[in-house]
Amino acid sequence: MILSDLLGSPVLTADGERVGQVVDARLALDGPPDGFMVRTRVYGLVVSPHAHRSFAGYERTGVDAPALIARFLSWRARGSVLVLWTDLASFTDDVVRLRPGARLYSPRLEHSGP
Amino acid sequence: MRNDRELPAPPPVAGRVLDADLELLDRQILDPDGVPISAVDDLELSTPADLARLDPEHPPVVQALLTGPILMTRIFGGRLPESRFIRIPWSIVTRVGTVVSVGAAADSLDASWTERWMRDHVISRIPGGRHDPE
Repeated sequence: MILSDLLGSPVLTADGERVGQVVDARLALDGPPDGFMVRTRVYGLVVSPHAHRSFAGYERTGVDAPALIARFLSWRARGSVLVLWTDLASFTDDVVRLRPGARLYSPRLEHSGP
Repeated sequence: MRNDRELPAPPPVAGRVLDADLELLDRQILDPDGVPISAVDDLELSTPADLARLDPEHPPVVQALLTGPILMTRIFGGRLPESRFIRIPWSIVTRVGTVVSVGAAADSLDASWTERWMRDHVISRIPGGRHDPE
């Protein structure tokens, strides 16, 4: 499987309600050593309710300058959420389905760190 | 399901986290001497055993950086077949920052074959092409 298989895929709740589409995959570098690095797993998916991909990730970082651009790009990616891998039920026919009771989290990167 | 409310922070992770599209894709790959190798065009992930019933205990892991001739697919759409990508194993990646550093010389990787071919078959046949400028 390659990352592009996931990016752009629609995400549906267990009830079939549309959450959005996958715009990014959040990786966690917290596994056992793997060569020079550590094993890196998919921690979750960043899902946006909008059709366009996120640009520069303003909605996920604390960067707020230049203010006008930051505000516009954050607004453009409004409503983005993070769903954890543990809440994914299936990935078939290029559609990601969530488990019943799946939780949506803040997509901000500083909220996921150690 | 409403998305526009204040969302809780996800459970913390022991190690670093990074967003693949934001912090890995399109980054330049450099060898230990700083020689450019290529750019990260995609990531190879391990495929879950059963995509219809994903196992929460076994998430996909990153296996390799992928690089390939993706220019045409970016302009005209579509997807490059997996066989056209060249793999750079994740295990030789040493650092992910503004560039991605790997612990192997550029000449030893398949990803730089086009540059080697150009050097050996074209540049070296140009008078003066076999040595540094004086």
